Amino acid sequence: MIHRTLVLELAVLILVISPLPAQQGGRGGPPAQSPASRLPPKTVTPQTYPADQIQAGESRFISQCGFCHGRDAQGGESGPDLTRSPLVAGDVRGDKLTPLILAGRPAAGMPAFSLPSADIDAIVAFIHDAKTKTESEKGNRRSVDVEDLQTGNAEAGKQYFNGAGGCAKCHSVRGSFATVGARFQGLALMQRMLYPRNRAPGATPGLLPATVVTNANGQTISGRLAYRDEFTITIVDANEWSHSFPVATVKIEGDDPLREHTEQLGKYTEKDMHDVFAYLQSLK
Amino acid sequence: MLTSSPKLIFAICCSVTVAAAQSVDPAMLLNPPVDSWPTFHGDYSGQRHSKLTQITPASVHQMTLAWAFPTNQTQSIKASPILVNGVIYITTPDNIWAIDARTARQLWKYTYPMNDGFHIGHRGAAVYKDSVFLTTPDAHLLALDARDGKVKWNVVIADSKRGFWSTMAPLLIRNHLIVGVSGDFDNLPGTLRSFDPDTGKPQWTFNSTPPVGTPGSISGGSTGGQMWMTGTFDPGLNLLYVGTGNPTPVLNGVARAGDNPWTCSIVALDPDTGKLAWGFQASPHDTHDWDAVEIPVLADVDFQGTPRKLLLQASRNGHFFVLDRTNGKSLLTTTFAAVNWTKGIDSQGRPIPNPEKEPHRDGRLVAPNETGATNFRQPSFDPVAGLFVVSAADGYGLYFFKDDHGAYGWAGADYDVTSHAAIRAIDYQTGKIRWSHDIGEGTGAAGVLTTASGLTFTGDVGGNALALRTSDGATLWHATFGRMNNAPITYELDGRQYVVMAGGSSLYAWTLPLPAAAQRP
Repeated sequence: MIHRTLVLELAVLILVISPLPAQQGGRGGPPAQSPASRLPPKTVTPQTYPADQIQAGESRFISQCGFCHGRDAQGGESGPDLTRSPLVAGDVRGDKLTPLILAGRPAAGMPAFSLPSADIDAIVAFIHDAKTKTESEKGNRRSVDVEDLQTGNAEAGKQYFNGAGGCAKCHSVRGSFATVGARFQGLALMQRMLYPRNRAPGATPGLLPATVVTNANGQTISGRLAYRDEFTITIVDANEWSHSFPVATVKIEGDDPLREHTEQLGKYTEKDMHDVFAYLQSLK
Repeated sequence: MLTSSPKLIFAICCSVTVAAAQSVDPAMLLNPPVDSWPTFHGDYSGQRHSKLTQITPASVHQMTLAWAFPTNQTQSIKASPILVNGVIYITTPDNIWAIDARTARQLWKYTYPMNDGFHIGHRGAAVYKDSVFLTTPDAHLLALDARDGKVKWNVVIADSKRGFWSTMAPLLIRNHLIVGVSGDFDNLPGTLRSFDPDTGKPQWTFNSTPPVGTPGSISGGSTGGQMWMTGTFDPGLNLLYVGTGNPTPVLNGVARAGDNPWTCSIVALDPDTGKLAWGFQASPHDTHDWDAVEIPVLADVDFQGTPRKLLLQASRNGHFFVLDRTNGKSLLTTTFAAVNWTKGIDSQGRPIPNPEKEPHRDGRLVAPNETGATNFRQPSFDPVAGLFVVSAADGYGLYFFKDDHGAYGWAGADYDVTSHAAIRAIDYQTGKIRWSHDIGEGTGAAGVLTTASGLTFTGDVGGNALALRTSDGATLWHATFGRMNNAPITYELDGRQYVVMAGGSSLYAWTLPLPAAAQRP
């Protein structure tokens, strides 16, 4: 490999990861439950729109948004189901959606859209109408329900967790980890079990071990890993200051804190994965 | 090479006047001159390997910006620039610009009227004689006057009301302009069409899957298999090679038993008739959205001691295929990224899908993820180094299907778990990875260009353009000007080699600095 990767000492992992701190709300942290495995949040302020505006909005939505979010706004190739979005549920006539559409979410892969305001208003009308229609539907064609996932054996999962899986090398079942099955449900728990990403802006602080950068003078700065490529590393310290360093000039520890999770993905059998999931569900 | 001699400048001016316009015609496309990049791949082979050697591993770190062209669009550039006659044509959905390749000055811009097709991306234009061709989000094909962008004709490729759209850069083979469409949100037959480049008159249609209800259909109830990437062409065999997309319904394999030919396949067609010569299925009975549309790269090289006419593909399903392109027979199948969905390789060189990894009610952990081990981003083949260089990813996804998801369109759900990306150089004779250059967490979007001087140009996940040494993957140059969503091209103009790359919604041209003497007025 060309790219220098420093091995994270196991001892550091054990010290910092265990136990997992409690999920903290606010700052746009990851949702406790995947939108796809619960009922869609109800619209806070019911809104109605003229039929012709909804129709115009549908056509604009399909052309600009449909590939990622689906033509019916229920999710597409890469974008989430908007009818289950808390942001849409809390939106009143575009007060939250319009600025988001105009600015995009570049970090999440959503571009900014420079559309005329009439088009954006129509798109907002269509999204709310699509959401109203979904709320009256019984099922959802892209739904994943908690009961769908119950094919594992918790006892076998516990054995794998403590034995062959090697999970217990880093995780001990105490503190908040002992209630992980109460704090996360369904698909969200499964996704988190497989890869508890914390790279997104606003991710729960302290969930993963700090990344530590030491410069040529021996000065050390530690914090949350915000960016890493082969040339530059950026960490955000406890006071939310961003620090960037040329990779070649510093010593880095802990810049791949999820390495064990990545490697585990290649080892799971379907049975092991569902067993460990059942075990984590039992930790309440 | 460069000189300020007035005599020479005069001579160059005169020769341009006399030579008139560089014409794209069938003969030119068989051997494109170095001062052009006349098609999506640069030539018919799809190798994206330039014979230019002015920029070398020793000098590439001196590259300097010659010009930048911002499109000022919110969408990034995913298209290949097309260079003919000193003019670069670049596209985004609904838009095409003609810019002067020496100054980046805009000559004209054409914007297609507002329409309801998916505006997800656009792969580029095509040029023939004095026409520039543009596909549109609502699956029309336009011919524009190359001089001023005026519409000459506008024909329908496929009905966008049924769910077709088009992003494709057309491929010109003699008097056939070949265009494909996309459309896997609906159960639609895979459709590739040929039009007369002079008149827009339809010539033939190839369906990779027959329309629903076609008697004697071999597709097993499957629709789909859209051909949305530009193919390659062997003039000697007179065969057009195209990759086909995933079957529909996409994640529901229960509704369509069997292998579902010709979805997720490489097909060889007669460009004069659209008739199938042979097909090779990269993913029999795909249930993971792994289009096999990745570029079928053509090379006439030795394979394990024998000169062969090869077709090479690094496929979205994680497999590297080497085929004899005269008959579609497999010579080698290996993997180049994380793969956990097979039970091995069958006697025809095709991966055998493991039924346990089909989307299921309780979720199945599958590598690659839906985005794939690679995708639309073009690879490059350096025949001298013997390396096939591809932007790869080791990714995992969770795949779900239950009866409630139905049998129309997507018909299931899938969620990305994680992905780690790398530029990988594959030894085409063994399939072994010669080197792997980490480009970050996530998935790359940049294609690859190699040059005869031993350079590999591409981009990483975060937004760095990279020049690597082809022999070992070492980084020789980088610049950070926005995420690259297309593949670099290169050409020589006025004695200077340029490398053009996109960063975000802008194009950037890089070249070696002029000697100080040449900079003086």
